[in-house]
Amino acid sequence: MLALAVTALAAGVWLSFRGFRSEPAGARRVALLGFRLLAALLLLVLILEPGIELRSESRVRARVALLFDTSRSMQFPAAPSGPTRAQELLHWAQQHQPDLVELGARFQVDAYGFDKDVQPTDPMRLPSDPQGPATDILGAITSAASAGTGGRPLAGVLVASDGADNAELSQGVSPAAAAELRKLNAPVFALPVGARALKDLAVEKVAVDDFAFVRNQVTVDVILTARGFSATEVPVVLRREGQVVAQRTVRISGDQSRYEVKLSFVPDRTGKFAFTVAAPVYEGEAIAQNNSRSFVLKVIRDRVRVLLVVGRPSWDVRFLRQLLKKDPNVDLISFFILRTPGDDPHSSQDELSLIPFPTQEIFQEQLKTFDLVIFQNFNHRPYRMSQYLDGIAAYVRDGGAFAMIGGDQSFSAGDYAGTPIEDVLPVSLLPPGPTAVDETPVQLHLTEAGRRHPITELAAHAGQNDSIWSALPKLPGVNTSGPLKGGAQVLLESGEGRPVLVVGEAARGRVLALLTDSSWFWSFVAAGAQQGPRAYETFWHSAIRWLVRDPALTPMRVASERPTFEPGGEPPALDVQVRGSDYGAAAGAHIGVVISSATDPAPRPAGMAQAGPDGNARVVLPPLPPGAYKAQVTAKRPDGTAVGEAEDAFVVAPASREQIEAAPRPDILQAVASATKGKMVDPADPLASLPWRDPERVEVGQRTSKPLWDNWKVLVLLCLVVGAEWTLRRRWGYA
Amino acid sequence: MVSRRTLLALPLLLAARRAFAFGEQARFTFAQARHGGRWDPRPDGLSRLSWEISKRTSIETSPAVKALGLADPDLFRYPFVVLSSDQAMPAPADNEVAELRRYLSYGGFLLVDDASATRGGPFEQSARQLVSRIVPGGRLSRVPRDHVLYKSFYLLDGPAGRVAATPDLEGLELGGRLAVLYSGNDMIGALARDSLGSWEFEVTPGGELQREKSIRLGVNIAMYSLCLDYKEDQVHIPFIMKRRRI
Repeated sequence: MLALAVTALAAGVWLSFRGFRSEPAGARRVALLGFRLLAALLLLVLILEPGIELRSESRVRARVALLFDTSRSMQFPAAPSGPTRAQELLHWAQQHQPDLVELGARFQVDAYGFDKDVQPTDPMRLPSDPQGPATDILGAITSAASAGTGGRPLAGVLVASDGADNAELSQGVSPAAAAELRKLNAPVFALPVGARALKDLAVEKVAVDDFAFVRNQVTVDVILTARGFSATEVPVVLRREGQVVAQRTVRISGDQSRYEVKLSFVPDRTGKFAFTVAAPVYEGEAIAQNNSRSFVLKVIRDRVRVLLVVGRPSWDVRFLRQLLKKDPNVDLISFFILRTPGDDPHSSQDELSLIPFPTQEIFQEQLKTFDLVIFQNFNHRPYRMSQYLDGIAAYVRDGGAFAMIGGDQSFSAGDYAGTPIEDVLPVSLLPPGPTAVDETPVQLHLTEAGRRHPITELAAHAGQNDSIWSALPKLPGVNTSGPLKGGAQVLLESGEGRPVLVVGEAARGRVLALLTDSSWFWSFVAAGAQQGPRAYETFWHSAIRWLVRDPALTPMRVASERPTFEPGGEPPALDVQVRGSDYGAAAGAHIGVVISSATDPAPRPAGMAQAGPDGNARVVLPPLPPGAYKAQVTAKRPDGTAVGEAEDAFVVAPASREQIEAAPRPDILQAVASATKGKMVDPADPLASLPWRDPERVEVGQRTSKPLWDNWKVLVLLCLVVGAEWTLRRRWGYA
Repeated sequence: MVSRRTLLALPLLLAARRAFAFGEQARFTFAQARHGGRWDPRPDGLSRLSWEISKRTSIETSPAVKALGLADPDLFRYPFVVLSSDQAMPAPADNEVAELRRYLSYGGFLLVDDASATRGGPFEQSARQLVSRIVPGGRLSRVPRDHVLYKSFYLLDGPAGRVAATPDLEGLELGGRLAVLYSGNDMIGALARDSLGSWEFEVTPGGELQREKSIRLGVNIAMYSLCLDYKEDQVHIPFIMKRRRI
């Protein structure tokens, strides 16, 4: 609009000048042009309406934000064997009190404590035992920058911290974080706390699944951080309850702080175990506690690995193999004796598909890879297996499972009397002879123990279970045996009280004796009697699960309330369910707990309790220092007889990164300062001398305006000028 | 009264090498399906096969053959049943077919042996009709030469019998195993002996070698029925492949 007006006025002046530019008298030309310019100027004043503004002004002080780290990592020593970082910071604040006063004279000083949040604080009363659960330096700076009152400009920020950020800056200052810092338009000065204890080695992170499969390789991913170290080699060790299971050496160089380490091992048994990843504690380290980390790993079976050794093919063998092969949870390895030395196949060996019986491989080299070994109507004598029987018995006692199924080559008839196998069987054996088998058909009955035992539970209701067993076809005969061993339980017996199914335990292993070779009658023959094969399938599935200690079928159980407990928090507690081997609730049982740790393998009493009427109890353990623990629980009846035992593993360790990744990080503080054109502050530096940004901000208090054009004299002058120009133009002969 | 079958089996019973374990039912015993036709065309063949199995392998067998009707509840005590004839077989009743279906689905094994060894003959036709009634829509199909049946004990390269009428065995699978096996070459006939102990039939065209192959096939079928796919377990494969190359 203004440009249009100026253009129009200039055009008017130009047109007027064109009319008299040929005027020979220079004085006339100047007079006419002067009047026209003056008229245009007056007209412009009227159009622009100019005025004078009068303001009263005052100057405003800028803000300085002081941020003091109040997170829990400030509880760690500022120097080896020195005061804590928090104490050092408080000491610094008290020493700089005059300095702060001086700073306050120049700026509005706002002091905050920060951890994961920001809160106003008094620098003279900083906490000596800060409890902040996390450290968020970037969040604290941005919050403090925007928290000021009255729109005061920010002169700068002072961050006093160990730099152990575990929020956005934990991996350093990213480009996005740097951009956010630059938006402050103010310098950040960083006062590093604890920077004298820079040397620190830490197992920063351990990544592993919650569970692993037995006999399958497990890889534990470890992040190791090393600061303040020169080139050196650091051994990193993975221990399972004190026993080394994997080890790697990490080559530390001075120019790298994070190292990835992969520790692999193959768990050889199932259960819940406490593992510890540890690196040595070197002299002068800031924090010794973070050189190890513990975790609990549950080792389970992907599939039950069963070794089935068969003396000769039979229908009993066929139906059991068919069942096991169909079971997706079973990995079946079977060896059948298809030809004995007395058989004559009328052919050369090359015309047969037979393979040598690899006794050494399966009973010596591979034995421990099996969860369950079944001897089905198998006589060991012809295969010179006596040398392996000790190993099989040791495998059972060490936690393996063993089942012997009857037949004319089994139990006493298989010449096992007096062998190590007899030692682990739940029944004693007789010398081989004509009485080793009894061909009288038998109708089976559940015993009292059989009514409670999961192996023989074909139906949930006891009466229905009894009926199912009683209705199953008679078996054509049974193996005979001697007296039962201590702790053995007869689950099925003949009408004459002859044991047919007996279970027991041999040290840590479980054993089952099925003294018949006709359990297939419960499948095919029962199907012919319109009963179907369900009894057979349920029986064998349950038997295998019990033998391999399927947790769901374990009579006594213990479970820690949580896999990890916080040090100094609620003490660890165990939930115990006490049932006898007969699966009856052991009401009133006395429960004792002993614990051992990776660093102290000696079991130590840690708690006692008494089971309630339902056999359950809760045992609260005393507060424990950080570490990996194994709790072994034993239960005894009031008369002192043992009920059973169970174990569980748990870890006492800080869960928060604040206490784990607590090493001082002056590098983060340096990066923050650099991103904002600030600098690192030496503790001795006076605050007032720092190059604070000092913007002069003027605040307007009152404002008045006086118009210059709104006056009659301007209008009269315009009329006079225009009239004078018109008069002269007429007199000098211009239109 | 002593039957001819018992008389024939007597020497075999006496030849049994081991004591009975838990009675007859714990042993491998052939059941023979008693159908409406000429159901026992080779009276001595199965006993002879039992004896051969017992002599050549670790399987304990019973030389006695149990003749049972298709709907007889006792059939479920004998998981291996043989159906044979040299003539057309009258169609079994529906309840017999239903029982046979249950028998097979719960784990039973049916060997169908065409004693007439006539390709497309009356027995073969009636056997195929029976199979299609047992498993509606089901039909016999060729048993491939790499099937475990041909390596369950002997390493065999094909079927054999009294004659060479068909080049392949046929079968029907149920639940991942062969439940029905059809032999069109009168395999049992190749094993039959007369009352004087001489071979009852001449074996053509291969002579005694073919008879031996027939025995071996019979052994393999029995072994397969008891061990199923045992010989396909990983541990056997390198041995069998090596011997197959010899």
